[in-house]
Amino acid sequence: MTELNIAFIGNPNCGKTTLFNAYTGANLKVANWPGVTVEKIEGKMNYHGHTFNLVDLPGLYSLTSYTMEETLAREYILGENVDVIIDVADASSLERNLYLTLQLIELGKPVVLALNMMDIVEERGMEIDMHRLPEMLGIPVIPVSARKRTGLDILMHAAEHHAGRPHDLTEHHHHEMPRLEFTDGENDINVRLTSKHHKYVMVYSDALEEKIDLISAILKRKYPKIKNLRWCAIKILEQDETVMKQYPVDLSGILEGSYETQIINEKYDFIQEVIDETLVNKEEKSAFTDKIDSVLTHRFWGVPIFLAVMACVFFLTFTIGDLLKGFFENWLESFSSGARVALSSINTSEMLISLIVDGIIAGVGSVLTFLPNIFILFLALAFLEDSGYMSRVAYVMDGIMGKLGLSGRAFIPMLLGFGCTVPAIMASRSLENRHDKLRTILITPFMSCSARLPIYVMFSKIFFGKYAVLYAYSMYLIGFLTALLIAFLISKLDKKNNTADLLIELPEYKTPNARTIIIYVWEKVRDYLTKAGTTIFLASIVLWFILNFGFGGKTGDMSQSYAAQIGKWLVPIMAPAGLGYWQIVVALISGIAAKEVVVSSMAVLYGISNISSPYGMLSLGELLTNSGFTALNAYSMMLFCLLYVPCIATIATIRRETNSRSHTFLAIGMQLGIAWIVSTAFYQVGSLIL
Amino acid sequence: MQKGNVTLKLSEAKKNSFHTVEKIELDLKVKRRLQMLGMTHGTKIAVLNKKPSGPMIIKVRGTRFAVGKRFCDGIFLED
Repeated sequence: MTELNIAFIGNPNCGKTTLFNAYTGANLKVANWPGVTVEKIEGKMNYHGHTFNLVDLPGLYSLTSYTMEETLAREYILGENVDVIIDVADASSLERNLYLTLQLIELGKPVVLALNMMDIVEERGMEIDMHRLPEMLGIPVIPVSARKRTGLDILMHAAEHHAGRPHDLTEHHHHEMPRLEFTDGENDINVRLTSKHHKYVMVYSDALEEKIDLISAILKRKYPKIKNLRWCAIKILEQDETVMKQYPVDLSGILEGSYETQIINEKYDFIQEVIDETLVNKEEKSAFTDKIDSVLTHRFWGVPIFLAVMACVFFLTFTIGDLLKGFFENWLESFSSGARVALSSINTSEMLISLIVDGIIAGVGSVLTFLPNIFILFLALAFLEDSGYMSRVAYVMDGIMGKLGLSGRAFIPMLLGFGCTVPAIMASRSLENRHDKLRTILITPFMSCSARLPIYVMFSKIFFGKYAVLYAYSMYLIGFLTALLIAFLISKLDKKNNTADLLIELPEYKTPNARTIIIYVWEKVRDYLTKAGTTIFLASIVLWFILNFGFGGKTGDMSQSYAAQIGKWLVPIMAPAGLGYWQIVVALISGIAAKEVVVSSMAVLYGISNISSPYGMLSLGELLTNSGFTALNAYSMMLFCLLYVPCIATIATIRRETNSRSHTFLAIGMQLGIAWIVSTAFYQVGSLIL
Repeated sequence: MQKGNVTLKLSEAKKNSFHTVEKIELDLKVKRRLQMLGMTHGTKIAVLNKKPSGPMIIKVRGTRFAVGKRFCDGIFLED
């Protein structure tokens, strides 16, 4: 039984993860923008009785790394434990994809080229000479369609067959080699055919080859154990820092600066030659994408259209989500009362019934009833992400972001923040410079995530009646503006390193794929359910305990409980914001576990079993109003929830991604501070006016 | 800087125009990155879109890219 380690590598957005999902049955997120995958993901598949370990890597344009996730991919591919590389290329933009392919071939490891999106190529009327292409590249080339799941078996077969033996060109190149012509600035250079053409796919101009030979010889003398001399020599010519550090050699007199430009040029000259020989009907039909772009990326309408699209997303989330929510509430209502009856009929102790019904069912149930809203929100985001619009948003927003010292690229993590802050912060890995990355991480939590949605829905429904949607929508706007304002302030305070500029690939638009959307939404829904079953479940139990026990043991009076003690201690601080109620303070503290917990806490704190139903909201509204908590306090509460620490998971992610304790504390402090200042300012000014 | 014929910055190119890359004058890292994406000497560039604030959408070797203003200022075209 053989075990093979197979790595998927390729340009961003060429379908590596779709292919990985198809082989392993995994449900990793895929979407139509470059940089979705930022982590190395491993999976297994069984192929005719053999175990293959597959690794999905973040996309990269070349083996020279610029961003964190590119470095990760490069390091993995250079490491020892890859038996065969599957280079996934987007056949519909073969020219650019072949650059990485040439670099991979130079590595000397076994490479198989998977030409993905062949269906699109055919649709466009393009044809690729599948006989000549592998011949010119010296590696197996397999046409596949990861979405339609065709060619998968043949690809694995080729990978298995090819593993363990670096490409031996003598097998493929027994034909007479063509004369190669290179352009070096102005002069055309005819390259003399040498024996190298039988050994290597890509042979450079004589001037470069001489240097490569020379460096190889020097390297070999100093480091006899180097496995891939030619690759190291080329990398040294390119002045690659990692390789130069790994194998320091004195090359004074041989090198005059970096030869990278020349190497890149010659690679592209070779690619041009390959394309000319193998691609027929290059005239592609991209009129469709251009037409959509002329509207969506319009010089003046681009930004208003984007805002309208987002308004539409939230409108759908609130309206359609609410229609569906009714069913959940009825179900919860009958479940809750049914559970109480059933439990007392089997003589369960009063305390246990209280724990289960008032603690767990009320807490977890209150969060579960918001599932329809969450579902619609993620469905809409899935459509946006899979259509190809995300990259355009980066372009459309570049002007505004530029004024804030960030590139439009940083807007993608922010936009993802409307879904969940954790993956949004991780998406900042694809930003090239650390300053941009840190700033983006600091401001992304202000983008209102789906977990905050139940809070807005609940409070605005109770206090703002038919205008509830508008008040809830205003949260998204305020969060967004706060993020922009903070970015602006940071750019004013920290003037250095404003070097970021936009550079992002704009993929072709495509009709969102049903499987992709289902996977995306299902994963999010599952996360939500898991969170309800774990974090919120536990938080509800803990909360029930600290509410029903105090220093004097079990207490019937909640105001004597531990929770009340903790809450009361912080009441003076929160009072200026209109949040000086110990129950509210307790709800806010427990909300740090996860934002939805604010809602489940309110249910447990006020003993309302079905808090999101019209009746539940009415009773909560009454209880709050009676204690002097008005619409003004409610809006202040919504503001505070929007801006303060999103959740434990976000804090952990910030810590991991910034790799800095001080930045993590800065982020937490800033979030708490801004939340307090904004809600206090709002409440104080509001109290004066009203 | 300019040899004989007048060079044009990409940022000065008009929407829906076609050009050829002459040279790139940006920090080495950015220059390399652009070259690796296929923007080498003599490559054809199509300008698809342009915003008043500067960023452009261009097409190079069959791929669309959104490029910020500062980068566009450092890309020189043959006129």
